[in-house]
Amino acid sequence: MTGISRPLSACIAGLLLVSVVASGQTRPQRIVSVVPALTETLFAIGAGAEVVGVGTFDAHPPEVATRVRVGGLLDPDMEQIFGLRPDLIVFYGSQQDQIEQVTRASIDTFTYAHGGLADMLDVIRRLGVRTGRAAAADQLAGRIESRLAEVRARLTGRARPRVLMVFGREPGSLRNIYASGGVGFLHDMLQAAGGENAFADVPRESLQLTAEAILVAAPDVIVELTYDERMTPDTQSAEVAVWDRLSSIPAVRNKRVHLLLGNQFVQPGPRMGDATAAIAQALHPDAF
Amino acid sequence: MRDTTATLAAPHPATAGDLRTRVWLVQIGFGALAVVTCLVAPLVGPTSISLSRVFDAAIPFAENVDAQVFFIARLPRAIAGALVGASLAGAGVVLQALLRNPLATPFTLGVSAGASLGAMLVITLGVPLTLLGSAAVPLASFAGALGALAIVYFLATMRRQGLSTLVLLLAGVTLNSLFSAIILFVQYLADPAQTLQSVRWVMGNLDVGGYGPILWGIAPIGVALVAFARLPRALNLLTMGADSAATRGVDVLRTQRLAFLSASLATGAAVAVGGPIGFIGIIVPHLVRLLVGADHRLVLPASIGLGAAFLVVCDVAARTVLSPMELPVGVITAMLGGPFFLWLLVRHR
Amino acid sequence: MLTADHVSFGYDHARTVLSDVSVEVPAGGLVGVLGPNGSGKTTFLKLLAGLLVPTRGCVRLDGADIAGLARRTLARRVAVVPQETELAFDYTVLEIVLMGRYPHLRTFELEGPDDIEIARRTLAATGTTHLEQRTFRTLSGGEKQRVIIASALAQFETGANTTRGARDPRAEATSRTQVLFLDEPTSSLDLSFQLATAALVDTLNRSHDTTVVVCTHDLNFAAALCRDLVVLRDGQVIASGPTETVLTPDTIGAVYDVEADVRRHPITGHLTVVPLARR
Repeated sequence: MTGISRPLSACIAGLLLVSVVASGQTRPQRIVSVVPALTETLFAIGAGAEVVGVGTFDAHPPEVATRVRVGGLLDPDMEQIFGLRPDLIVFYGSQQDQIEQVTRASIDTFTYAHGGLADMLDVIRRLGVRTGRAAAADQLAGRIESRLAEVRARLTGRARPRVLMVFGREPGSLRNIYASGGVGFLHDMLQAAGGENAFADVPRESLQLTAEAILVAAPDVIVELTYDERMTPDTQSAEVAVWDRLSSIPAVRNKRVHLLLGNQFVQPGPRMGDATAAIAQALHPDAF
Repeated sequence: MRDTTATLAAPHPATAGDLRTRVWLVQIGFGALAVVTCLVAPLVGPTSISLSRVFDAAIPFAENVDAQVFFIARLPRAIAGALVGASLAGAGVVLQALLRNPLATPFTLGVSAGASLGAMLVITLGVPLTLLGSAAVPLASFAGALGALAIVYFLATMRRQGLSTLVLLLAGVTLNSLFSAIILFVQYLADPAQTLQSVRWVMGNLDVGGYGPILWGIAPIGVALVAFARLPRALNLLTMGADSAATRGVDVLRTQRLAFLSASLATGAAVAVGGPIGFIGIIVPHLVRLLVGADHRLVLPASIGLGAAFLVVCDVAARTVLSPMELPVGVITAMLGGPFFLWLLVRHR
Repeated sequence: MLTADHVSFGYDHARTVLSDVSVEVPAGGLVGVLGPNGSGKTTFLKLLAGLLVPTRGCVRLDGADIAGLARRTLARRVAVVPQETELAFDYTVLEIVLMGRYPHLRTFELEGPDDIEIARRTLAATGTTHLEQRTFRTLSGGEKQRVIIASALAQFETGANTTRGARDPRAEATSRTQVLFLDEPTSSLDLSFQLATAALVDTLNRSHDTTVVVCTHDLNFAAALCRDLVVLRDGQVIASGPTETVLTPDTIGAVYDVEADVRRHPITGHLTVVPLARR
């Protein structure tokens, strides 16, 4: 799906760019974004003042709390969106019906397709161009790139541990464990953070693993990501302790199970560089 | 002299010894099938493990990968599968007889919807992850099952003396859709990661990751199975109708009560352990009827044994087919069960 | 002897279905309960069989109030053949007949050789031995009814006695009445099966010491079969006694609002009712 929608969305963005230039229009004044990653990016590149509507699950930066909530991936409230009289709407690439609807109403759209780290940097730059903030976006992308480069520099010559990167699990048990496969931004961040994805050979973003697969993969480190930032320290240590049952795994034996809290770990965006650094720190504590 | 020549010439002259032998053979045969399946299942999987290493006392358990694969990743799944399969198949038989409806399933009376709602609430509200040393989700779903059971039972008994199977059925079906609506509402309010977890829960999963959920489930399932053992002969008569059963000496109300409560208890515990795994409760009883006839003294033990074996085998497929990924076991049973169910429907015409 | 002693019954306070009904069914009797639709026949049968408990009065079997008897105890002496039996699952004929042995077995007990023997005897008595291994759904309406009768007979201590043996059956009959109820036995049968059922019931009553109570709206069936009749209308007994005295144009007129001619049939010797006109 990503393979198809990426060039498609690039095409759409390109066409829109042409239309903007052709119509002599400058930067959009009223932006609605239902994509958390791009809402955060809009604020980071200085377009926050123009953002009038945000998605239900948008949490960053804190200013989003003052904007109108217009639904999300599955349930955008079109009436409310139209009511905000936007001149640019940021949609997911899969929201085809809504894109057609607003295009008919002559409202411009910017579509987002989920991809890897590099794709995300590209998206940031294109969003900058589209909102008339190319320079700011380029700076943001550059900062992320240099942060990644800095991480990489610190880790040169270090052995890359085999890592299990978990992003979903039934609380308090080892059931329904979801982990990153060999594609997508989680995999890319893990690579950049000096880790070797234990399931790199499965060409999928997300896979539900059996306990057996994890035992056999025997990762050196387990990094578990959760955006439940409310989790108390007690709950955190209890959740880490859940892994103790799989004691033959080197990560468990050597107490190298890390729980990282915050939505920057599961949602690509301006904080990708910091998130990668945090993962690197968990994998290579003595390098920082 | 009675007409014995004709009966002796019949293809299967049923005699007293014959029935006793059949009951004995069914219990031993299907029991052995379940046990053997449970013993063989942990030996089968995507990775080859060495049995001698598994049981090598010289290697500490904490370092013995083969032993951990056997005792943590596979054996608990086989035991959980056997318990859940036995409970759902047994509950299916009992409820089909109680409701006098061959198409009833353990999920007909709303108990599983209650269990699902309990699980959903814990998953989405992020309730403290452990209660009394057990994971919160199974406990909450068991509590939800008991809640639904109480509501349905109350509704079915409040109208007049006795237990109205019609009210039971209507209340169950209504409760099912009501709870489903609440579940959808809760999921709608949840954030995407929680929705993923809750959607996944509904597909059923036997990767219990330890013996905790099994130990919790064993008590209610054990109680239900003991109750099941008392039921078969009375169930035979109940399927002729309540009045016919009563005039033949069945205490109808007591039997209905025992059947409903034990089947619901088994269903609730099974769903709490493995999620609402569909179709076991209908295909297994019907398969068994094709094999051993309609007598519940044969159907019930055979269904319990076959249900256990069937789900254990489905679960081996669930953890093997897409390895290292897990294939939801509910998907496997549904893909086998769906077509079978349709065939049954057509065959009933 | 089975007695209804001033029995009244209502499903709720507002609606009384039976009021103050007193009837005696002698041991070995063959009694028909007649009445138009809604007269309370089926309710009366359920009360006599212990399926319902009277709101006032009581039903006695050989002097004992059946409300005080355990279900199993009662089931060994009182059996009911309902108007229709529908099975949720397809049992074999022998399995169905063996279900009649329920009140004789403990919870985990399986049917023994004696029970099989009794089941086969009742199959023989109802002429259904050849159906033993068939499944119930494959039977015709008449065959189904006979099998259900066999199953009901199997409830009695020894099933249907085939011979009047050394023991005096009358002595046993007076002390332990066994009652077979039949609810509308002819409603779904064609003429030839109606005759066959009448013959079977007659045989069971005469040569197997079974007291029989038949609920029916078929006057001629009742006239041909029953020695005594009870006629109900609006929950009350209009007439009761020997068939000869009860089945008169007056009674029929009072109960059905129909003018009827009643005369003895020249060939069968039974009373025969021919309705003439509505009153």
